[in-house]
Amino acid sequence: MPDILITLSEVFMRTYEGFLKAALVTLKITAIAIVLGTVFGIIFALMKISRSKILQTIANLYITLIRGTPLIVQIMFLYYGITSIVVLSNFWAGAIALGVHNGAYIAEVFRGAIQGVDRGQREASLALGMNRTQAMRRIIFPQALRSAIPPLGNQFIITLKDSSLVYVIGVTELFGLANREAAASFLPFETFLVVGMYYLVLVLIFTGLLKLYENRLNVDGS
Amino acid sequence: MIKTTNLHKSFGDLEVLKGIDIDIHPGEVVVLVGVSGSGKSTLLRCLNFLEKAQEGDILIDGRRIDRKKEDLSKVRAEVGMVFQHFNLFPHKTVLDNIMEAPLIVKKEEKEKAKQLALSLLDKVGLSDKADVYPNKLSGGQKQRVAIARALAMEPKALLFDEPTSALDPELVGEVLGVMQDLANDGMTMVVVTHEMKFAKEVADRIIMLDEGCIIEDADPETFFNHSTNERTQQFLEMVDL
Repeated sequence: MPDILITLSEVFMRTYEGFLKAALVTLKITAIAIVLGTVFGIIFALMKISRSKILQTIANLYITLIRGTPLIVQIMFLYYGITSIVVLSNFWAGAIALGVHNGAYIAEVFRGAIQGVDRGQREASLALGMNRTQAMRRIIFPQALRSAIPPLGNQFIITLKDSSLVYVIGVTELFGLANREAAASFLPFETFLVVGMYYLVLVLIFTGLLKLYENRLNVDGS
Repeated sequence: MIKTTNLHKSFGDLEVLKGIDIDIHPGEVVVLVGVSGSGKSTLLRCLNFLEKAQEGDILIDGRRIDRKKEDLSKVRAEVGMVFQHFNLFPHKTVLDNIMEAPLIVKKEEKEKAKQLALSLLDKVGLSDKADVYPNKLSGGQKQRVAIARALAMEPKALLFDEPTSALDPELVGEVLGVMQDLANDGMTMVVVTHEMKFAKEVADRIIMLDEGCIIEDADPETFFNHSTNERTQQFLEMVDL
């Protein structure tokens, strides 16, 4: 066996317990960010398509600020911003920052999906006596959700990978741990190769789950 | 039942309706005809406020509807509409399509809504399609479901916006058949259509629009055989009977 493979397997064996724990942190922070991002995304998408100019302006401002600045800056900004007001662990500060960041992108996904639903669906709902809220909740949004799932899945995968950036505020997730291991072992190349594989495996699992979900949606109903 | 006085509607600079007065009586079947762009679909859509006329009044059952203040969904619940492109809800089964509005708008009990939906499906001859999704239906079947869906709200009147224009020719008959049954049952209907045979046989009255004005309002016999209006005669020469 070439030397590199021997070193790699040594690094792997020595670190897998730590990395599995760190992977769990990565998954937790990603899950929280996805839930928060989806909630923010739906709220801001609805604000953006609302008839109120004020709500539209707020949503546009949020989306412009988030899309116009780097995630790492947002993480730092929110971490020092939030923790100067309330006591919050760096884990939660990171999760919230990721959630807020994702919300802007998810809002655009939902806005596109909602506006992509055939206009006739809204007209038919209104013609049956539904009000705007009922039409949105019962008819338009469920259809928008279906077409939003592929781009949402994409965004969720980006979130998983972006979660590595919270290492800058000291969260020991996969990348944070890899950094420490690399420095301690003087084997940065092997360590980052190993952590890269962890991310790859997680992304592949995510992708597989999304595929399954999409297939299930396609089976029942149109 | 449905009455308009001096109805005006513009889209930007384009004036589509230029003062429309119509009066539709209970149980009457009124067919709106005219070349495309004459304003007939717009007029129909104004009647249930999917388009909002800028000027003029709409009275339903003698009551003037205030477009700005009133809850228009209550008005729409009483005046059903059937669309050219069916607009069935693709994520719901046929039965759920029909039950949706009674459940959500009228807060009907589920069992009662289901019984009504099933009997309406029977009426349009699609009892065996209750549990399929709309994408498994032919165009004619879709439109019959759409009619059942509109009927589920037990409307006082039904508006049809070119209900057979998107159908293959061999499927037109089944939809017109259902509409004819409805007319025989005494349903008040306003129908925008190019089916002159239907107009001739089923309509009580034919209203012809041209450039946003009513130019003819007559019974079918007079309209088809004794019209003296030049535009009407041009129109009748264009459509095939």
